[in-house]
Amino acid sequence: MQWTKEDIELYAAEKKYVDTLIIPLIPFNPEADHTLVKEAFQRELNQLTTQLLEKEYRGRVLLAPDYNYITGQYEHETQRINEWIEKFKKQPFEHVFLFTFDTKWKRWEQNLNGNLLWIPSLNERNLQSSETRSYVKEQIHQISELIRAYWD
Amino acid sequence: MSDKQRVSRRQFLNYTLTGVGGFMAAGMLAPMVRFAIDPVLKPSAAGDFQSVASVDEITNEPQRFEWIVDQVDGWYESEVQKTAWVYRTEDDEIVALSPICTHLGCTVDWASNEEYPDQFYCPCHAGRYTKDGVNVPGTPPTAPLPVFDHKVEEGMLYLGQEQDR
Repeated sequence: MQWTKEDIELYAAEKKYVDTLIIPLIPFNPEADHTLVKEAFQRELNQLTTQLLEKEYRGRVLLAPDYNYITGQYEHETQRINEWIEKFKKQPFEHVFLFTFDTKWKRWEQNLNGNLLWIPSLNERNLQSSETRSYVKEQIHQISELIRAYWD
Repeated sequence: MSDKQRVSRRQFLNYTLTGVGGFMAAGMLAPMVRFAIDPVLKPSAAGDFQSVASVDEITNEPQRFEWIVDQVDGWYESEVQKTAWVYRTEDDEIVALSPICTHLGCTVDWASNEEYPDQFYCPCHAGRYTKDGVNVPGTPPTAPLPVFDHKVEEGMLYLGQEQDR
């Protein structure tokens, strides 16, 4: 389910079936010209991937609003993300996944109160191209297996 | 030369005015008529069939087929990927089932659970369906999987709208 009126109405009614949360972590830095394109592309790829994942398991997974942050202050952001997770867990959510293409999170993984799903990004290219499609499909296949492993 | 019928000034004016008036009336009426019959001319969305697979590929075992449709959804027009589980019954009938679980909308898989090798299985809440798409009582889904309208033309399978059962 997504963070939209229609889906959240359904969520509120069927809460007991939804125990998994995915939060997309999306970095950006409007100052740095040389990373603008890369970050914009990663944002698109992130949204595409998380939405397709959500579609696969929409009855059990809630896709949280995007967590946007300025690149750099990971210690500070870790605290804020943990605050998000803490509030979401009151719903309750049993499994929390943080989905990102930002490599730097790997170092902070043990401080995060959710499971970090970091996968390497692609170089900027056309999202509609068939290579991108097959890459995304393959990644989704593997991530959904991983999520299923947490459910069993 | 003189026995050719002469056109008087009055007749000439009459003809010209009728002609011009006729054009103007037609110009005004044509759009109105077009508006009046417009709904009839619109191609119906329900009749939109998409070619999905060659008939030879379809076996007795359900297989997953994917195709793309254009969907206009309020603000957005987008390409949406559709999926169906397609198989042939013993009576050589083609069946195309929607993979969307009728419980909360997860995607169901054929034979993905080892304990139920001849059923559709939903990984989210262990919902199950028999091969004809009917939900197994005692599992969360309350309705059978929708079926797609289908037709076969020149060896290709075309799928249309899904119908709830």
